[in-house]
Amino acid sequence: MITLEEAKKAVIEDFSMYDEWLDKYEYLIDLGKNLEPYPDEDKTDDKLIKGCQSRVWLDAGIEDGKLVFKADSDAIITKGIISLLISIYSGRDPKEIAEDDFGFINEIGLKENLSPTRANGLVSMIARIKELAESYSSPKNDEVLTAEDAKELAPLYDNVVLALKQVYDPEIPVNIYDLGLIYELVINKKHEAFIKMTFTAPTCPMADEVLAEVKKNVADVPGIKACEVELTFEPPWDQSMLSEEARVELGLDG
Amino acid sequence: MRIQDIREMFPALSGKVYGKPLVYFDNAATAQRLKTVVDKMDSLALGVNANIHRAVHKLAADATEEYESTRDVVREYINAASREEIIFTSGTTASINLVAFSLGEILVGEGDEIIVSEEEHHSNIVPWQMLCQRKGAKLKVLGVDDEGHLKIEELESLISERTKLFAVAHISNVLGIVNPIKQIVNICHSKGCPVLVDGAQGIVHERVDVQDLDCDFYAFSGHKIYAATGTGVLYGKKKWLEQMVPYQGGGEMISTVKFSGTTYAPLPGKFEAGTQNINATPTLKPAIEFLKLLRDSELQGELSSVKEYVERSFASLRMTKVYGVPRGTETKIPLYSFCVEGAHHEDLALILDKMGIAVRSGQMCAEPIMDRFGVTGMVRVSLAPYNTMEEAEYFFKSLEKAISMLV
Repeated sequence: MITLEEAKKAVIEDFSMYDEWLDKYEYLIDLGKNLEPYPDEDKTDDKLIKGCQSRVWLDAGIEDGKLVFKADSDAIITKGIISLLISIYSGRDPKEIAEDDFGFINEIGLKENLSPTRANGLVSMIARIKELAESYSSPKNDEVLTAEDAKELAPLYDNVVLALKQVYDPEIPVNIYDLGLIYELVINKKHEAFIKMTFTAPTCPMADEVLAEVKKNVADVPGIKACEVELTFEPPWDQSMLSEEARVELGLDG
Repeated sequence: MRIQDIREMFPALSGKVYGKPLVYFDNAATAQRLKTVVDKMDSLALGVNANIHRAVHKLAADATEEYESTRDVVREYINAASREEIIFTSGTTASINLVAFSLGEILVGEGDEIIVSEEEHHSNIVPWQMLCQRKGAKLKVLGVDDEGHLKIEELESLISERTKLFAVAHISNVLGIVNPIKQIVNICHSKGCPVLVDGAQGIVHERVDVQDLDCDFYAFSGHKIYAATGTGVLYGKKKWLEQMVPYQGGGEMISTVKFSGTTYAPLPGKFEAGTQNINATPTLKPAIEFLKLLRDSELQGELSSVKEYVERSFASLRMTKVYGVPRGTETKIPLYSFCVEGAHHEDLALILDKMGIAVRSGQMCAEPIMDRFGVTGMVRVSLAPYNTMEEAEYFFKSLEKAISMLV
């Protein structure tokens, strides 16, 4: 597969072949017509891109670690534009997409030559592509920490763990940390905390309250700028995940 | 007089877009400005700028004269019974909102009803929805048939004793068909229901005589009749305007102000609070003068042949449906909203734009009528008396090219 930069260069070259904007539109229309079909059942409101006059749906999923986009629109030039974006960005590492500046759009003069509503639509499409890419890339553990960074972050980890120990499972008198509900805790250099956690059962009726409490407690730790909590049931929780303290507490090791 | 003579009165028409001559076919949204309108505004702003009604100095007197003589010109043009029945506003939307508030306050209570038609512009829907929400009243809708005609035959039974007003367009900005206002007013009045006419498009194409129409209110904008933007008129029958409460409080709409209470100025001042659009409202004078010029029979003949050509060409265009089909003695103004099978309205407009042709696409501020016809939008071309046969021919050539690119 060609690199992102090569893909952009190819598009810029394609575009420069045409002097007239009408011809560029023909090129976009062709792209639109050749876009892979998008399943009708996925044309749901949550896939609609806000800010476009015509309707545009965009969806993405991970295949072999790469982010693959699919899209559709009821207007063919818009479809051509989203097709152009997809042809460049689909099948790449989500992190690479998330970090791209999309500056090539300015080089081909596309934005300036669209109607204001379409130009807004283009901006919204790019924002959505970035948003999807960001949600699929892991912003937390991609940093290289120096010894100094680690030293600086260490007390934060301690304090965040203390904060997590203040949150109790609504049904078992043990805090969520010792229960083993926290699967991942990462604090990045910007002092943003990322937590991946689970519940003892997927049907926990208090789930929302507990998640909100975790987020608030961690965000309130001095030095922490923000906190994101992700809920997962993979792998499902079981008793082996209990800490030593929790086992004692519950009398399981007796 | 010929179309070419008309064109020379509009400096913007000689402009170019993307190096191509401008073909301006979006006149129903706003028309181009007359040179005489721009000159009037300039001369007022540069030479006769003073606040009206208040001061004793000469400049104020001249400015007041410019403004108040405009009221006489408008009164005469639409044949209102008196100058007190002409209220200046910022446009049709402001005129309708004024009535929705000021008449609503005295006339509409819980359980009452307002009727609008299905083909209305949002400006003649939303103010009534807001009124209904405020008062706990109900908004009812007179439907439109498949060919784009109001279902007049259903109007009488739609009006109940709780119905307080029917708000209807003289001409829909999407369908372009002239509604039978006299007949509508007759039906409504026979059931004791007043009528507000949204004349945003009507004033452009029809000879409006409010006494002959007998409507209770008639609202229109200046910018669609080649006058300055931010100008508009509300005509209202005196019997209503006198009862109605003021819409906005402020300067010039008062008689006396005491903290114990304020009495309001007589008509029309009661509804013109604050400094008015003193440099722009008088542009209605050259605009109306221009409207009268258009009655020239040679010009009308030439315009008719352009219109006939456009209608013939649409009829023979493949995969194209024009909404709003006139029947019998009905007239349709040179305004055509259409859809092309397999081509999105926005794509068509975008390609036409690159060919130098300005058309409107989308919902045209009339979402309910789009829903009525089951489309997400349409393309609209709306012609003015400065649009030539050459432009019309170029448009159809361009449209065919656009369709062949898309379908």
